[in-house]
Amino acid sequence: MTDTQTIASMRPATTQDVADILMDAASKGEPLVVRGNGTRVGLGNPVAATRVLELGGLDQIDFYDPDDLVIRAGVGATLDNLEQVLAEKGQYLPFEPPRYAGLYGTNGARSTLGGAVSTALSGPRRILTGAVRDFVLGVEGVNGQGDVFKAGGRTMKNVTGYDISKLVTGANGTLAALTMLTIKVLPAPRAEVTLVLPAATLEEDVALFARMRALPLGIGGLVRRVNAAGVCEVLVRVEGTVPGVAGNQQVLNGLLGARGGMVVLEQAQSHALWAGVRELDCLNAKPDELVWRVNLPATTMPTFVEQARKAGCINRFFVDWAGGVVFSTMRGVQPEVDTLRYRKMAEKAGARATILRAPDAVRAQFGAFPPVSAGVAALAARTRTAFDPAGILNPGRMTVQA
Amino acid sequence: MQMPEPSQAIISQRDALAQGLRQIVGKDWVISDDAQRRPYQCDGITAYMAMPLLVVLPGCADEVQAVLRFCNEKGVKIVPRGSGTSLSGGALPLEDGVLLVTSRLCNVLAVDEHNRVARVQPGVPNIKITEAVSHLGLCYMPDPSSQLISTIGGNVAENAGGVHCLKYGVTANHILGMQAVLMTGEMVELGGAYLGAAEGELDLMGVLTGSEGLLAVVTEIAVRLEPVPEVARVISMSFPSVEEACACVGAIIGVGVIPAGLEFMDRKVLDAVSVLIKEKFDDRTAALLLCELDGTAVEVDALVGVVSDVARAQGAIELKVSTTEEERQRIWSSRKLAFSAIGKLCPDYYCTDGTIPRNKLPEVLNKMADMSKKYGLDYANCFHAGDGNLHPIIMYDAAKPGDLEKAEEFGADVLIACVDAGGVLSGEHGIGVEKRDLMTHQFTEIDLQQQQMVKCAFDPKDLLNPGKMFPTLCRCAEFGRMHVHNGNLRFADIPRF
Ligand SMILES: Cc1cc2nc3c(=O)[nH]c(=O)nc-3n(C[C@H](O)[C@H](O)[C@H](O)COP(=O)(O)OP(=O)(O)OC[C@H]3O[C@@H](n4cnc5c(N)ncnc54)[C@H](O)[C@@H]3O)c2cc1C
Ligand SMILES: Cc1cc2nc3c(=O)[nH]c(=O)nc-3n(C[C@H](O)[C@H](O)[C@H](O)COP(=O)(O)OP(=O)(O)OC[C@H]3O[C@@H](n4cnc5c(N)ncnc54)[C@H](O)[C@@H]3O)c2cc1C
Repeated sequence: MTDTQTIASMRPATTQDVADILMDAASKGEPLVVRGNGTRVGLGNPVAATRVLELGGLDQIDFYDPDDLVIRAGVGATLDNLEQVLAEKGQYLPFEPPRYAGLYGTNGARSTLGGAVSTALSGPRRILTGAVRDFVLGVEGVNGQGDVFKAGGRTMKNVTGYDISKLVTGANGTLAALTMLTIKVLPAPRAEVTLVLPAATLEEDVALFARMRALPLGIGGLVRRVNAAGVCEVLVRVEGTVPGVAGNQQVLNGLLGARGGMVVLEQAQSHALWAGVRELDCLNAKPDELVWRVNLPATTMPTFVEQARKAGCINRFFVDWAGGVVFSTMRGVQPEVDTLRYRKMAEKAGARATILRAPDAVRAQFGAFPPVSAGVAALAARTRTAFDPAGILNPGRMTVQA
Repeated sequence: MQMPEPSQAIISQRDALAQGLRQIVGKDWVISDDAQRRPYQCDGITAYMAMPLLVVLPGCADEVQAVLRFCNEKGVKIVPRGSGTSLSGGALPLEDGVLLVTSRLCNVLAVDEHNRVARVQPGVPNIKITEAVSHLGLCYMPDPSSQLISTIGGNVAENAGGVHCLKYGVTANHILGMQAVLMTGEMVELGGAYLGAAEGELDLMGVLTGSEGLLAVVTEIAVRLEPVPEVARVISMSFPSVEEACACVGAIIGVGVIPAGLEFMDRKVLDAVSVLIKEKFDDRTAALLLCELDGTAVEVDALVGVVSDVARAQGAIELKVSTTEEERQRIWSSRKLAFSAIGKLCPDYYCTDGTIPRNKLPEVLNKMADMSKKYGLDYANCFHAGDGNLHPIIMYDAAKPGDLEKAEEFGADVLIACVDAGGVLSGEHGIGVEKRDLMTHQFTEIDLQQQQMVKCAFDPKDLLNPGKMFPTLCRCAEFGRMHVHNGNLRFADIPRF
């Protein structure tokens, strides 16, 4: 489905092996597809390379220090494994990394930490705890010349040199083959409930989200979606200590009571529900449909969605991050035409429209990521050259060559 | 401390440069006479001073662009400056460089209550953001102790932290977008005024944050606003030993509580403070922890119970919990007065900010006691314990020959001990000139070269704040050409300054 005709795959087990491979590739000017276990093939633009550097073999946990809220692991460590190790100590990855394996028809259990950091995909909890970038404390990687470098550290605060950890987060493997990551973790909330209530109009629901968020109620998820029964509903996840959640739930009852029809999902049910939301299950994307993510100010979202639906650019959709992100499907009938129209619409609304899934040809032509200004593109290109002068690491994954 | 040799050729063009700059910003906003330049000679580290070639105060982003373009063409260096409270010499002027001061760029441009974002100019003092939105029940969370004075532009450049960043994060976690001007005068817009606005391209905003004015001049910032917590209560916990206080830090976090703030003060600080607040601390107290918990009333009450139990189990001898806002302020006043109280004990003090894994606190604090003996200088400890962010206060007398050098060496030894314990040179003050020469202790030659290559992508002529952060100047042209592999020192012959 992606990355034209890869013929050979290399799966090194150590950082030094990665360095050797890259030094060799650099000397030949040979481009490589860089990936973890390839569970998110289809994210980003297709890369024209015949060899794959697969980093999933670097899967050891180097250390885990629960009292210091920090874990250091090879990029190939699976998210499932890490989340299990953390859960044993009552901790978690606060950025709630989605796997999107359902979208790509891959095995989410093999989804890696390196992939999560490189793609910088953050789950519904972002509105409360932050994004992937907020939790990457330190990195070790190999640049496009085969040099092993490290940056950042393991402490919570650090202003020692440039924040290269942020730069490689979301770089989709275009700056370096990451080998080791140091991640800040947090105690998982002891209690969690989800309030489910019937949806109103998008405008009303967004206004309601804002009213809830104006209060410090520990709300770690605000979604508007259509459930399996076809009913449009609003989901409110409340997290914290046991008494804290109970108290906040009371405040919310007061705020939301007028709407009526509220259902409360307790811990286990709530947990399962959000695992599905995180994976975009409620989009119910059909195999031939394109899948989009649009980031925008919550206040401009309702108008944008109305227009895009009228224009036929949105087939099904749901809203996450308190209205700040729209996930949608697009019919696969005339993907080129609709992609162009949807992007234009997003641009007009000051939004950023990312293709999460589309045929290779569409991503290759329009770019999975929305375009940036010429100045930013040039600065990003110079920054890439600073890491990978020969342009061998995932060339074109993030940018469409003019 | 050595700085790059100033260029006499540039210095000799001072008058012509002043004239050119006056055409851009207006005649009143270029300062060239000695008396008016003098206040700009240093930042928060008064031990390092230099007279800037000229001081320029642009009044808008367009003028910043024009000033940079002009200086870039003439090959003149620029040092950006906010309020000059940096504690690492980041805003230390260069004798052959223009000091670009942002104090006229001081407007809160827009507040978007619904999407909870404010757009501000870089010269806005940190506290002014919260003041502009407090009537909405919102605030800007990062709260460096210098927040009354230090600018948001300076905070971005140093990725400033504060007492509440244990729970709420540092500056970088609260920035959604920025406008910045490169040395060429080119303006770039990064991110925007909503979550995720920067996604889909390299996180250039992330690398600009904490870049100490070496990559670009930030001319506008979109910051995230948060609801003000309903209640905050502070627990003051006394311990009979430094070790027990340190162990309590890990224990609190270990039970799953992230306090809003968790601060440490040793006996010396307490004694100094008690003179000012006219309150005595229990004689058995060797160290005090202040733990602030915030949230809703029910939640905070529950957490106060949890933390109190942990503290007792860790050997706390006395616990005081604030029940009113007034009490909370009073308990905090000891921490707020700590540095000025120490200032009254000695003619000068020097404070660094190495940061370590929290469980290494006792080990590094013990080493400090040995160092104090070695250098014959007294010291005190008052720091952000929850983050492992040390602030050893080294006392000395600048009038005594050799004392400053001894204090600097003591400070350097502490920083080296921090790195050796798995920590970093700076948690929140930045490298600047102060810790510049220690960078090679934390990073390999290759690590540093990779960072300097990033500098080359932004400022290939190395005109923006050179001489800071790295122990050698950038050699952008050579980086492009030369390549020697692992471990072979690349530029062994480059002079260190
Ligand atoms: C043919 C058909 C297909 C549908 N498919 C979906 C679907 O794929 N996903 C889905 O979420 N709902 C779907 N719905 C359900 C629909 O959202 C509800 O019926 C909605 O409350 C009324 O939609 P409307 O377009 O008729 O009314 P409108 O007056 O256009 O919309 C009423 C409000 O609901 C919002 N809204 C409309 N459609 C959706 C939607 N799809 N998701 C979230 N908010 C919406 C509008 O923005 C508006 O604020 C579908 C309905 C129909 C008739
Ligand atoms: C009493 C006191 C308490 C302090 N407490 C704390 C604390 O709790 N936490 C903390 O983190 N720090 C603290 N500091 C350090 C200092 O206040 C911070 O580093 C602050 O962020 C500096 O802001 P400033 O406006 O004074 O910047 P300056 O000192 O003027 O400059 C600092 C750096 O930023 C660069 N810079 C300034 N503006 C821009 C811009 N617009 N674009 C690009 N670069 C720019 C300068 O070149 C320089 O490198 C304290 C300092 C003092 C004196």
